[in-house]
Amino acid sequence: MLRDISLNINGKIKTIRVEESKRLLDVLREDFALTGTKEGCAIGECGACTVVINSDAVNSCLVLIGQCEGVEIITIEGLEQNGELHELQKQFMEKGAIQCGFCTPGMVMSAYALVQSNPDTTIEEIKEAIEGNLCRCTGYTQIVDAIAH
Amino acid sequence: MIPRLEIHVPEKMDEVLEILDSSKANCRIIGGGTDIVPGFHIESPRFAGFNKLVDINRIEELHEIRENDENIIIGAGATFSQIISDSIIAHKVPLLQKAAHGIGSKQIRNKATIAGNFVNNAPCADSVPALLVYDASLRIQCADSARVIKLEEFLEGPYETNLQPNEIVTQILIPNNSIGLAGDFYKLGRRRAVAVSRITLGLLYKIADNKFDEIRIASGAVTPIGQRFYEIENFAKGNEVSDELLRTIAIKAGKKVLDLTGLRWSTPHKLPVLQKALYNLLVKNCLK
Repeated sequence: MLRDISLNINGKIKTIRVEESKRLLDVLREDFALTGTKEGCAIGECGACTVVINSDAVNSCLVLIGQCEGVEIITIEGLEQNGELHELQKQFMEKGAIQCGFCTPGMVMSAYALVQSNPDTTIEEIKEAIEGNLCRCTGYTQIVDAIAH
Repeated sequence: MIPRLEIHVPEKMDEVLEILDSSKANCRIIGGGTDIVPGFHIESPRFAGFNKLVDINRIEELHEIRENDENIIIGAGATFSQIISDSIIAHKVPLLQKAAHGIGSKQIRNKATIAGNFVNNAPCADSVPALLVYDASLRIQCADSARVIKLEEFLEGPYETNLQPNEIVTQILIPNNSIGLAGDFYKLGRRRAVAVSRITLGLLYKIADNKFDEIRIASGAVTPIGQRFYEIENFAKGNEVSDELLRTIAIKAGKKVLDLTGLRWSTPHKLPVLQKALYNLLVKNCLK
């Protein structure tokens, strides 16, 4: 059903009229032009669509927009502050943790959820935080390195 | 394709019960959505034929984990992340914590709920063998009544349960007499994370004077649905714990699985792996 839904995305509140069973992933990409969030597998296995909802990393392909009223959604576009990249983004570039780049936004968002809840993370905690994010290029070493710094 | 659906997001339990009561089979409950939404995507017939979803994530009482004189009470909407970090679960229901840890990925565990796991009742549902060895029961509510049923009676067949369209599972009850038993949980998947279980085993036991005073074994993924091995448990109880006994238990479990499933393409390699996995689990935990 079409419904007016008020959404809090990257700290901005906006009301849109939308089919309430549309996936959050599609709303971000199509209605908000936030195309940093990627669609990979669409069944919650690859993590390319990861965003942070109420401080938790979740797959936006598994969330329907009708469930999102009043929750706080952060996407990869929300990490940059005043024109400056987030430290995690800088570290991903610095450590060469990006090759094709398709998994990167999801990977950074999983890492963001981790460091927000626990800034002093161990390598094991990092690996657990990104276990739901597939990268087919880097072999993960540089990614873990980037998050650890 | 996601079908066009009406989505209700009530904040009170009464509203959930009212919606279920008035819409019956036209409505499904959505918790984490980690089975339903991919089900839509692959156009699974299991997730068709209804036009309404009721989201239960804002019902506070469904997220509570607490204990009283008789039971540990787990809210049906508790996510696996919540179960992993809860201190009551960690101290008193550790097999469930271990099973929860092996489910999906961080993102999945942040959303997926415990009741969603066994209401979906996939043969490989990881929470099931853990809950079965704890003799878990469920509290189920509808608009005008409530009932309590043992989990093993609730689980009727692969992807089938005893839940009626106007009902909701509200609590999982772990009886106090299951607390304090030693035990372990084993999962075999193709990789460590985001892996459908190939074999799961739950084991609880108590050894007194080197004899099994209590032993409970449950499997998942290798049987049509997760289930207990009562005959084998009864055979083992009262017997001296020895390498020979543990080996016999494992062999009997394999035979039981073969009886239940018949010969399958995977039997020649899976059956010995199951037997060895159970034997190793028993030896690791029970042999001094």
